[in-house]
This record gives sequence, structure tokens and C-alpha cells, in this order.
Amino acid sequence: MTAPTSDFDPLTVDVTGLTVAYPNGNVALREASFALHAGSICALVGINGSGKSTLFKAMMGLLRPSAGGVTVSGKTIRQALKRNLIAYVPQSEEVDWSFPVSVWDVVLMGRYGYMNFMRIPRAVDRRIAEESLARVGMSEFRERQIGELSGGQRKRVFLARALAQQGRIILLDEPFTGVDVNTETAIVTLLRELRDEGDIMFVSTHNLGSVPEFCDHVVLINRTVLAAGPTTEVFTEENLLRTFGGVLRHFRFDESTVQKHDGRAVTVLTDDERPLVFGKGGHLEYSQRKGHEAVVSQRKEKEDEDDVPRK
Amino acid sequence: MIETLLTPFQYEYMLKAILVSGVIGGVCAFLSCFITLRGWSLMGDALSHSVVPGVAIAYYIGWPYAAGAFLTGLLAAVGMGFVKTKTRLREDAVIGVVFTAFFALGLLLISLFPSQVDLRSIVFGNILGISNSDIVQVLVISGVTLVVLGLKWRDLLLFCFDSNQARALGLNTTVLHLTLLTLLSATAVAALQTVGAVLVVAMLVTPGAIAYLLTDRFSRMIAIAVSLGVGTSLVGAYASYYFDGSTGGCIVTLQSLLFVVALVTAPKHGLIAARSRRRAAAGPEGARPAAEPPITR
Repeated sequence: MTAPTSDFDPLTVDVTGLTVAYPNGNVALREASFALHAGSICALVGINGSGKSTLFKAMMGLLRPSAGGVTVSGKTIRQALKRNLIAYVPQSEEVDWSFPVSVWDVVLMGRYGYMNFMRIPRAVDRRIAEESLARVGMSEFRERQIGELSGGQRKRVFLARALAQQGRIILLDEPFTGVDVNTETAIVTLLRELRDEGDIMFVSTHNLGSVPEFCDHVVLINRTVLAAGPTTEVFTEENLLRTFGGVLRHFRFDESTVQKHDGRAVTVLTDDERPLVFGKGGHLEYSQRKGHEAVVSQRKEKEDEDDVPRK
Repeated sequence: MIETLLTPFQYEYMLKAILVSGVIGGVCAFLSCFITLRGWSLMGDALSHSVVPGVAIAYYIGWPYAAGAFLTGLLAAVGMGFVKTKTRLREDAVIGVVFTAFFALGLLLISLFPSQVDLRSIVFGNILGISNSDIVQVLVISGVTLVVLGLKWRDLLLFCFDSNQARALGLNTTVLHLTLLTLLSATAVAALQTVGAVLVVAMLVTPGAIAYLLTDRFSRMIAIAVSLGVGTSLVGAYASYYFDGSTGGCIVTLQSLLFVVALVTAPKHGLIAARSRRRAAAGPEGARPAAEPPITR
């Protein structure tokens, strides 16, 4: 019962020279360009205010670009929206959780585009909504009011809505914020399945560590597209420092207690907190050796012991 | 005793007042569900005041009052939208400036042409003196509003809940926005007759607010709000005969009383329920987080 999407085969998303200016003259995005093909998960990485949400809005047809644009398989966004091709999983902060709707109501909303003038669900709408709920493991919460769910469950419900819509381009805005580890794993598994089915997913995130784990493409933005392409090529230390500028916390461990000091160093990038590091022995590590000589000497003894049998 | 209770029904003007109030009460209540959820309560207040100059002008040039009122109501809405997008002012300031401008203009017009309209009946309503042609206007507005809401409430619900998703599904949110705005202006005009410009906002907010406290399901919220709206309007108009008081005052006082009752006793979102939840949390089984209240349905 999927809507016929043959004229959208092969599925591609092309952003070409996209420039978006707000009425007050602020240019949120300048000449952004990149392309994606069917079966990809693409991370959208950038600081707050870098134009991530502007790009999302442009892809949903919510904004009129002042130049360039977004096309789906060579067709306009409007045509893609008409086919229910573009689904959206909002950020938790954007949703009014006290709104008097149940989990089931929300999932059925994904089917509106297929329903008649009065939006009365048919049997097929109910079946697909039920399947979608089951796929995210939320069937037993059907009758709950959405505010009565945990952060992870809330996210699952909105994913189910995107599934029910049977969109083939899914935009996820910060899907891992406020989400438990189980849900994060479940979401990643689901996104991989959808990728294998040929969908295109855009994940806006500032959770840098999760990007190489499940995203095969990356778009780095800061008011424009700084770099775009396969994760292994684009997600480099140099590019990330360029994207985040001084905002990113940048830890090289060459002065730390963590490792041997041979000129090379492990580097950790994070845009959030300073990382807490435990050594191989389970002890605390420090960013400066000075004052923590005991840790270094202990590690040294341990390493020397470990190294003996291997040699 | 029974004779005394039936006295109001012996007067045609009372009978008309009661029935028309009931209709308007129901329609306003239906709309109030969307207004409260959309966060448009202040907007409702603004529009109901902005229709006043329209009424004055319409009487002056001999138009049906509803047409004039509706026009200035929409003009105010468009004005607010324009000022909001073109300036850096916050929405409440924009609404405050625009609607008081319209209301002041209305007062000025009425005082300049005192013979044309009775200021009191616009500001405070005069359902007891409603003319048959005004009844027809009210019924037409109510009928159209009910049909539109009855057919499109699911779209409007999605628009209020998540307008981005509505757009993504190909719904025309501009049309939905204008529809809601138009219905709001239209019902504000209709309710003007019953409770007057000052109290219209109560009819457009209170029933929805009560129902919101009582349920977590939108369809139930509509049912509760509409029953309350119709009930309080019928009873309020009827009771005003005995008090010899303002009809609008009676209806809105009744609604406000019910709001207080709901606020205190609502099964899940009421003050008593919240207190017993706090007690339970402080008790031996205090491990239950307050954020996850027990399901009481």
C-alpha cells in the first residue's frame, strides 16, 4: 500500500547553491551544496546557529530559498511532499508534551496524507500504524498520553509516526538528546534497516562520537557546507576543527598521564563536557602529568609487565 | 414553585435569549479547544475587542453589524501578523498595541455618533434585546463554524500540535491558520451579542481550559467543552431572569465557577490529585518519580 514512488526512482537528494536569508537580512545559509543517493545515513554536523535547522526547514519546504534549492530525484520539494516522501522527527523541545493526544493519535497523524478529506483512518491506515508502533517496540503504550512517556519512549513514538508515513527521506533533529542507551541502540538499528531498504536519513546531531558509528555520510556546516561526503573522508580532525572553531573541546593526551610520550598522541574531540578518562587499570587519568607522577609510574610498571610476554 | 421556574419561558425574548446563548456557547466552546491548545487566548481577546469599530461603522452605513465587525476583526489580525513579522517586538506587545488601537477607535466612533449604536450593548452584550435579523446572523455564523470545525478538526488539531509535520504531510498550513483566525473572528462577532466584547474571550477560552484539565484526549476534550459551553450558556441566560442581572455576567460567572471546581478536583491535573501524588511520593514508596503520575483511567 505504499504510494507509487516509481517516478522518484532512483531516490536522490540534491542540494545545489542553497542560500536562505531571513526577512531581517540575516543569511542563515550561503550556497550550500551536496548530494545523497538512496540507502544512506547522513549526519548533519555543526554548532548551534550554524544553519542545521535552516537546512532541515528548507528540505521540508518550510522556507523559500533566496537562491538555489533542494530537489528530490530531480523533482521539487513540493512534489515530494505531496507523495508523503519526506518525514520528520522533531526535537523533543519542539513538542508540546502536555497536548491531549495519545501515542496512537500521534502515529495515526503520520497517515493523514493518505486519508480522505476528513482524515478518517481506514483499515490499512490502522494496520500500518500498528506495524510502525510494533517496529519501535511501543505497541503496549498505545493509549498513553504522550507526556506520560520517558524521553526514549517519546522519541520512539515520533519515529513510529515517520514510519507510518512511509516517508523515504527521514529528517531526525537531534534524535539522541535525552534518550536512554537502549533507545539509542534501537534507533541506530532501525536507521540501518531503513538504509538497507533504500531510504535516505538525515540526522542532525552534535553527538560527534556516534557519527562514525552509524553514519556513512557527513555534511559539515557552518553557515555554508564546509565539507560533505563519505564519513571516512570528511570526518577528519582538521575538518571538525574548521567546523567548530573554538567551540570544540580538543584534548591531545601527549601531556597527560594516559599514554607513553613518544611524540604521537591520542586526540579526543567533544563539543560538550571535558571527558572523564579511566586508565586500563581502572584508575583515574589526568590531563597533566605534573603532580600525578604516581599514576605515571604505576602505569609504567604495569606496561612493562604486560610487554614482557608479548616480546 | 414549578410555575415560578417556568416563568422565563413565557416570555418570547427570554426564550430567544436562552436558545441563542446556548448555540453561541456551544460554538465558542468547540473553538475554545483549539484556541487554548494553540495558545491563542490573548488573540481571542484582541479580536473580540477589535470588532468594535466595525460594529460602529456597520450601523452607521447601514450594513449588517456582523459584516463590519468581521472585517475589522480580520483587519486587526492581519495588522498584528504584519507588525509581528516586520518588527522585533514580542507578540504580546504587538497584540496589545494593535487591539487597543482598534478598540479605542471603536469607542471614539461610537461617542462621535452616539445615536447610531448603544455603547453598552456592544461592550457588555444585550442578548435580551436581540433582533430577529441579528439572530439569523448569529445562526449563520454558528452553522458555518460548526460545519468547518466538524469536517476539519483533525487537520486543525495537527496544525495546533505540530505545524511542521502538517506541512511535511502536504497540508496547507497557511489556509489552516487563516481558517482558525477567520472562525475566531466570526465567533467573536456572534458572541458579542450575548456577553459583549469584554467577556467574549471567556466564552472562547474557559470551556476549553476546563476540559483540558479534565481529560488527556482531544475528542473527549471537545465533547466536555461543548457540553459545558451549551450548559452554562443555557443555565446562565435562564438564571439571569431571576437575578435581573447581566446575561453575559451570569454565563461567564457560571463558567468561572466550574473552572475553579475543575482546577481543584480534576482527577489527574487537579490540585487535590497533585497533592495526593506529592504525599504518595513522600511516603514509604517515595521512589516513584513525580514526573510519571499513575494512570488513573
